[in-house]
Amino acid sequence: MKVIDIALKDLLRSFRNAFALIFMFVIPIGMTVLFYFMFGSTAGDGEFTVPKTKVMIVNQDQGSPQFQTRLPGGQSISSQGQVLQVMLQSPDFGSWLQVSISSDAASARTAVDRQKAGVAIVIPSDFTAALYDPNRQTELELYQDPTLTLGPSVVKSILDQLMDSFSGAKIAVGAAMVQTQSADPGLAEKVLQQYWAASATQLGSAGALLDTRAPVRAEKSASPLLGVVTQIMGAMMIFYAFYTGTATAQTILQEDENGTLPRLFTTPTTQSTILGGKFLAVGLTVLIQMTTLIVFSTLVFGIRWGAPLPVVLSIGSTVAVSATMGIFINSLLKSTKQGGAIFGGLLTITGMIGMMPVFTQGLANKPPALEIVSLLVPQGWAIRGLFQAVNGESVLVSVLVLLAVSVVFFFVGVKKFTKRFA
Amino acid sequence: MENAIEVQKLRKYFGDIHAVDDVSFKVQAGEIFSLLGPNGAGKTTIISMLSCLLHPEDGDALVMGHSIRRDPMAVKAVLGVVPQEVALYDDLTAQENLVFWGKMYGLRGAALKQRVDEVLEVIGLSDRQKGRLGKFSGGMKRRVNIAVALLHKPQIIYMDEPTVGIDPQSRRSILDNVVALKNQGMTVLYTTHYMEEAQELSNHIAIMDHGKLIAIGTHQELVQIVGEMDRIILTVNTAAEQVTEAWKATPGVKHVSAEDGKITVMVDDSNRVLPRLFDAATASGARITSVDIQEPNLETVFLHMTGRELRD
Repeated sequence: MKVIDIALKDLLRSFRNAFALIFMFVIPIGMTVLFYFMFGSTAGDGEFTVPKTKVMIVNQDQGSPQFQTRLPGGQSISSQGQVLQVMLQSPDFGSWLQVSISSDAASARTAVDRQKAGVAIVIPSDFTAALYDPNRQTELELYQDPTLTLGPSVVKSILDQLMDSFSGAKIAVGAAMVQTQSADPGLAEKVLQQYWAASATQLGSAGALLDTRAPVRAEKSASPLLGVVTQIMGAMMIFYAFYTGTATAQTILQEDENGTLPRLFTTPTTQSTILGGKFLAVGLTVLIQMTTLIVFSTLVFGIRWGAPLPVVLSIGSTVAVSATMGIFINSLLKSTKQGGAIFGGLLTITGMIGMMPVFTQGLANKPPALEIVSLLVPQGWAIRGLFQAVNGESVLVSVLVLLAVSVVFFFVGVKKFTKRFA
Repeated sequence: MENAIEVQKLRKYFGDIHAVDDVSFKVQAGEIFSLLGPNGAGKTTIISMLSCLLHPEDGDALVMGHSIRRDPMAVKAVLGVVPQEVALYDDLTAQENLVFWGKMYGLRGAALKQRVDEVLEVIGLSDRQKGRLGKFSGGMKRRVNIAVALLHKPQIIYMDEPTVGIDPQSRRSILDNVVALKNQGMTVLYTTHYMEEAQELSNHIAIMDHGKLIAIGTHQELVQIVGEMDRIILTVNTAAEQVTEAWKATPGVKHVSAEDGKITVMVDDSNRVLPRLFDAATASGARITSVDIQEPNLETVFLHMTGRELRD
């Protein structure tokens, strides 16, 4: 009972502390709102809008004698590169992309370098020819402004969907040619026509050759902007949960210096009860912080954090590790005067390392090592677990790692504090 | 009379410093017992050991028959401790502080509420109970600091220099409360470096210096240690060092010390010795500019036993 009394007293004090409240709630929400307005603005119905990305297309595709087809709208097309060009210029992408055509790749790249365009797409000369040769592979070139993250991500996402459709068409043509052992261009055209028609019928729109997973038609939770907001909110929530854990655990040192902890030790209350109450307060404070932020972000930003069980496991293990890390760090400190360096240094550095995968999203040449480095710190595992829950993946490994680290932090911290106050 | 506290050869070292060195004394139930000594004498270290906050290197103490070494929880249950510095939560109200500390002493429900109301009444802060402690004056905080120790009606209360740094009105209130506690049958172990407080409050006084207990007894018993000696405090216009040396050699002078421009002379009989002090000063080329003759008191005792003023 006294454990709970001590924990509730600490909770009451924490929630009367303006500084603590700012760190727990105002800054994580404020940062997310900041990103929200950086990447878009709210419309009347609460939908997000994103600034258009300037895309420059260089179509070098020389076509193929076999390729003569029509799009479902009736437009005659002579190369697969032209199909791609027409699709990217479709009104369906009008709110996302501002497309222009360039005659050569060098000038398109220069435009990107000079930030006249956000992305250049160079369609290779054998783009159509590769359609008829199962052994031939060709590549689109996506040249992007490295200072942009969201726009190129949107373009890449669209291209991925389109390329999936082209791959499907290539497989369909190849399969028909093999089955009939024919090289008749008319057959290839028929297959392509049927493929496009089937896609269009299935999707109910001439412009919807894209799979329904295309961002422009996706539901709110799959919106690229909302994805970014989810990432930022999740990262901020975890980053500041570790601050809260450490700051709350620091009340043990503060109470020691203010004389209230020694006074507690003069009451008929055991040391384990007193320290247990303090530790419980740390965990409860972080739990309340994270729960509040989860609920707030769900209601206000419309973020979908995933299925309840993985989210609960992810949040629970994050609470455990941030609270026990706070206890561990403070057990190493001699006084609260050293706390400033810890706040400014250790937590910021480890937090930034843990958040690296979030802030490098959309980079074209992201080093794979970033993901590994981020997992050197508990924040990295916490972020990984949370986004595994968001993406519907298994959180088991992340949760187990976080709990294992928590156990180590807890026992070392408890041992050091117990020794100090023995 | 039954002993509430029995301290037996208690020792505590911090490195090379002997904070408490072989100290023994007994406190009778229902009395006010003062530990008197300058800062660093070891008073707070003794209180900390008797509160089971510090482990003694050697020796033991029985508090209401419970050993501080073997049964610390039983000791804590009969104690109320008023620490030297205010040890409360500034961001909680006076009432919230008292409720929390009451729970730590095992009080619950209606009994807790009743005791909180009672102690608020005793310290005269019933009308301020909803105020945050951070907004209180130093004296008001001190009163709440004492009230916390009274919540569970302890048999013994330790008060570690409770009047340091507060206004005269609050000081008077606290001293009156201490006497009231004694009148209710409570045993009070009181530490102070103010001679007047020890003299006014205490049934017995133990004088400490450098971790050692140098004298113990009632006020009368302690004063008798220095016999009939008078204390003469003088100032001279010049040549203080020469005068001091001359007075040390003057017949009837037992001890001479100088500090802050004042020379304190311990003498058998001030009426007889004072003219000789004037003669010696004149012979040294100095003139006495003020004279203050004091009856023997605890300050005199401390000076007699240590050669230093109590305020050192």
